[in-house]
Amino acid sequence: MGKISRRRFVEGTGAGLVATTVPLKGQTAARKAAGVPRTTIKVTVNGTKHTVEVEDRWTLAEVLRDHLGLTGSKIGCDRGECGACTVLLDGKNVYSCSQLAVWADGRTIQTVEGLAQNGKLDPLQEAFIQHDGPQCGFCTSGQLMSAKALLNRNPHPNADEVRHAMTGNICRCGNYNHYVESVLAAAGTLSADARRKA
Amino acid sequence: MNSLNTVGHPTSRIDAQKRVTGTATYTGDLRLPGMLYARVLRSPHPHARIRRIDLSKAQSLPGVKTILTHENCDVIWGSGDMRNKRYLFNNPVRFAGDAVAAVAAVDRHTAEEAMRLIDVDYEKLPFVLDPEDALKSGAPEIQPGGNLSANARGAHEPESYRRGNIDQGLAAADRVFEDHYSSPHINNAQLEPRVAIAQWEGDRLTVFTPTQGISNCHTEIARDLKLAPEKVRVVCQFMGGGFGNKNQNHDFELMAAMLAKNAGAPVKIEFTRKEDFLSVHGRWPTKQYYKVGVKNDGTLTAMQLRGYSGMGPYRKGSGGIEGMAIYQCPNVERVVSPVYTNKAVSANLRGPDYPQGVFGIESLMDDIAYTLKMDPLEFRLKNMTRKFQDQLEYTSIGLEECLRKGAEAFDWKSRWHAQPGAGAGPIKRGAGMAMGSFFSNMGRSSAVIDLDSGGMYHVHVGVTDIGTAAKTTMALIAAEELGVPLEKIDVIWGDTGRCPYSVGESGSRTTTHTGWAVVQAAQDLKKQIAEKGLPKGNDILTASVNTNPETIAGKARYSFVAHFAEVEVDTELGHVKVIKYVAAHDSGRVVNPLTAESQVKGGATMGIGMALHEELLYDRASGIALNAGYYGARIMTHLDTPEVEVHWIQTEDPYGPFGAKTLGEPTIIPSPAAVANAIYNAIGKRVKDLPITRDKILGVLA
Amino acid sequence: MKAFANVNPRDLKDAVRKLGQPNAVPVGGGSDLLGMVKEHLVEPDVLVHLKAVKGADVISWHSPARGLFIGGLVTLAELSSVALVRKNYAVLAEAAESVGTPQIRNVGTLAGNICQRPWCWYYRNGFPCFKAGGKQCFSITGENQFHAIFGGGPSFIVHPSDTAPALVALDAQISITGPSGTRQVPAAKFFALPRVDPARENVLAKDEIVAAVRLPDAKPNTRSTYHKILDREAWTHAVVSVAVVLEMNQQVCNRASVVLGGVAPVPWPLPKVEALLAGQRITPELAARAGEVALEGANPLAKNAYKVPLTKAVVRRTILELATKA
Repeated sequence: MGKISRRRFVEGTGAGLVATTVPLKGQTAARKAAGVPRTTIKVTVNGTKHTVEVEDRWTLAEVLRDHLGLTGSKIGCDRGECGACTVLLDGKNVYSCSQLAVWADGRTIQTVEGLAQNGKLDPLQEAFIQHDGPQCGFCTSGQLMSAKALLNRNPHPNADEVRHAMTGNICRCGNYNHYVESVLAAAGTLSADARRKA
Repeated sequence: MNSLNTVGHPTSRIDAQKRVTGTATYTGDLRLPGMLYARVLRSPHPHARIRRIDLSKAQSLPGVKTILTHENCDVIWGSGDMRNKRYLFNNPVRFAGDAVAAVAAVDRHTAEEAMRLIDVDYEKLPFVLDPEDALKSGAPEIQPGGNLSANARGAHEPESYRRGNIDQGLAAADRVFEDHYSSPHINNAQLEPRVAIAQWEGDRLTVFTPTQGISNCHTEIARDLKLAPEKVRVVCQFMGGGFGNKNQNHDFELMAAMLAKNAGAPVKIEFTRKEDFLSVHGRWPTKQYYKVGVKNDGTLTAMQLRGYSGMGPYRKGSGGIEGMAIYQCPNVERVVSPVYTNKAVSANLRGPDYPQGVFGIESLMDDIAYTLKMDPLEFRLKNMTRKFQDQLEYTSIGLEECLRKGAEAFDWKSRWHAQPGAGAGPIKRGAGMAMGSFFSNMGRSSAVIDLDSGGMYHVHVGVTDIGTAAKTTMALIAAEELGVPLEKIDVIWGDTGRCPYSVGESGSRTTTHTGWAVVQAAQDLKKQIAEKGLPKGNDILTASVNTNPETIAGKARYSFVAHFAEVEVDTELGHVKVIKYVAAHDSGRVVNPLTAESQVKGGATMGIGMALHEELLYDRASGIALNAGYYGARIMTHLDTPEVEVHWIQTEDPYGPFGAKTLGEPTIIPSPAAVANAIYNAIGKRVKDLPITRDKILGVLA
Repeated sequence: MKAFANVNPRDLKDAVRKLGQPNAVPVGGGSDLLGMVKEHLVEPDVLVHLKAVKGADVISWHSPARGLFIGGLVTLAELSSVALVRKNYAVLAEAAESVGTPQIRNVGTLAGNICQRPWCWYYRNGFPCFKAGGKQCFSITGENQFHAIFGGGPSFIVHPSDTAPALVALDAQISITGPSGTRQVPAAKFFALPRVDPARENVLAKDEIVAAVRLPDAKPNTRSTYHKILDREAWTHAVVSVAVVLEMNQQVCNRASVVLGGVAPVPWPLPKVEALLAGQRITPELAARAGEVALEGANPLAKNAYKVPLTKAVVRRTILELATKA
């Protein structure tokens, strides 16, 4: 094991990290299969306007992840059953695995990558860190986006409102208690702890 | 218990910011230049011989690069079956979901289209789904040598354990209770579906894969592909759960490697959620037949279990049914038959042998207590284990405190009622409890710590962090032992090219095994600092430790747990709601109370789902599963989950890092039984087959 | 997924025209349809994206004579939150709110919800059953715990829609647009039993779409509710559900409308129960009697007999709670 202790090795980036920095254009210029219908769409994602040529069959999740490099949204089931792919479409939380990208033409999308503003974490993100919301973390982006949709329309929810608003987001690690706690903390309503446990 | 500086204080995960900003890089998020995508074609039949595979249409689809089948790939997946040869592609296919072909193409849609153009001619064979049916004469033979899976010695015999004399124990009893229970196949259902990327650079293979154990995955990939270990590198930076079904190497990693080799390009292989449910593995279904002898004062004289576990057609897990070990009893016999069936493969899921076994034995012990007019809590306090298998001292045991303090926090005396089902009105409340234990032994692991001249300690550990916060745990342990602030610790994990051996994140062993190696390395480093002084300039001090603690002579090391549940059962609607839940855990010293609490809450929640919802249901006529996926499995949601109250019984244990014992798996062990016993207390009728669904509740009440 | 073209119609007429293309299917919110395309249960060449139609997603009130107009593309989230619907047609708002999850309700449409294909696990797993154009219902001798206890044969699916029983209970009219214009069909006649055509669940022709739903003016003193039994607390289809509309005069029920969901291949009206309740003061005894009458003629399969006592209890409780609530 002597070799791995070398400083340069420690500083070097693992191949995993290298892989993420591969220019994404290669994929966008991927093979255009004969006879597969394509459409050029315009979408605003996290405040940035994109013009993308997509296959009509591509889901929004696919385009965000594979073609815009926004891999924060995860695909857990690809069937609208788990919520890991949740993004905000014109402010409403939707399963991006169950929307075609072409349907998002002209619309505004917010993903987990768009939560922090000017390098400052969203209060929800801070609370998720403080209260240990994520375990494996795979559902976390979706949980955050459903929470964000809730707080946008109801800044001070109670625990029951949080559970209803986030019930489309499965956490198999089962950390629902901590997710609810996190959202209440971000909303400043956690102090009513007795109510949470009621 | 003495207070420590870093260990024992609630601490946010060191990688938490990445997890909440979408910048934690999971395997599926990676892309390599020129990477192909692969999909797998699977058998629609539970048992069939492949007469012919016609690839011509698939191969002629533009964009298709290579296709593997049993005809051109004879790689054996060694960890896919510990008793028989299991190829990546088997003929005959032995369950609906068995892999038939893998296709790599320029994108995932093309791969999928090609997969559907493969024409397979099957000769359907007879199949069997139930383990007891599979043992009957004339049942279809699934593996050579018969459907009773061979034991480690190669003999086709059940797995057995005996102490005392069961016949004498039963004869000595005032009363003998006999009953039987069953539990279904349940999928691990971790949020991240299977995905791997294989890349060859000459004869060197790198596999990016969500694995619970980079080290075992690494050695097993090398073994199965007949490569020198140094030619293989396994990388897992972030992974989305596994609960036991991402340990060791897996067929999809080997498929990706073979496809990449054939195609001369990196390959990303992706399973759908349905494939993940049907073709990987879940918890083994069991049938449990018990006989328990007891004196009129409640003293146990004998416990006997005859059990059957359905393993699917490949023996990937133990098939054990464990639970009786939490009781003190002089005469015990356990005979469990792991049986081949044509259902999905069964192997590890959180606390593999335990929750279903504890459900069985704790249901029966509950019935015995009621019959003897004893409080179930008192019955357990009387009969709980005091020595491991009544022989070995435990290194520490907080089970009694778990029972007593848990009961107090739960307010057992007022929530439990002596007369089950006595509540007035259609909506009845009831309380139940159950206990458990889980091995917490020490074992082989390694750690390397480098200290640079800037004062940073770089801790290299082969953990991947399945969601338990293992990286943070290692950092806390290092900081504590080194006596430096947490900020001075940099953890390097999840890459066999950069990290030493670590036990797979299974058996809840990472804290005790790898954490102990970190302690040893830190002590070594401190010694070096004392001898050589702090490093300057480009110097680095390195401590490298491989530990293999011997078994603790004459003692057994276990964690203990007791869970308490209160339910409300609507007896007209057959509806159950868990309204209060208390979990008391003896896991020795708790390294990080914040993330440890998450473990307990999660395990209890998963156990409630096991009690009430989950079952992979098969159509008997076709042998096809009907409800794969989150919708079908009725996985617990935000609205189903009660507040889980966590209590720590921190026993002083002289072993392990700062006395820490196992935690992750004990959290689910008593949960299904506690809920089942609460339902009995509420309605006065017992459902003996998991899950306890509406139809069964209305059935026993009818 | 199989390749297909997405087309955006200008208006409903254009949508119908585009549906006339070979192998074209309409899509609303898409949650269900995309899943079916991914599973290859539907293999379209063209998706006609109805949400592109402007103005198909409005809710408007015209006059007592014309009642409430709900565009077919109104989302379930909208339907469950609009005050007018919540107040006068609570049964529909509650039914819409009980569907799936917030993410599904944010995109799912009323038309899509009532036209949803069955969630029978045989159909959804690709068995060649009646619903897939085959000649068999696998549930009869198979796993039928969620199947029909009324109206089954030759297929024993249950209708998956929550809003459908509510619409039938509200005497809604379904506006159907096709090549030859728009026709109105009472909700009760929109849904069709498998004995009419075992491959389908309603009377829509291939090139027709549900354009809108019209609800008659809510009579004064009308109250309504939807009660759904789920197998976890969210995101399952109804094991059993009931839509109840009561026109009350003090303690007396002038007129009742009671429709079951989750028990039959169509929303299952209970005319005998309605007759039993009409003109009566609703007492616990009468509600219990309603529960008994509701289940007359039930014909359970091997594994769904539990639905009989379950449905009785749901009918009794829902009627009584609605009639006696302040």
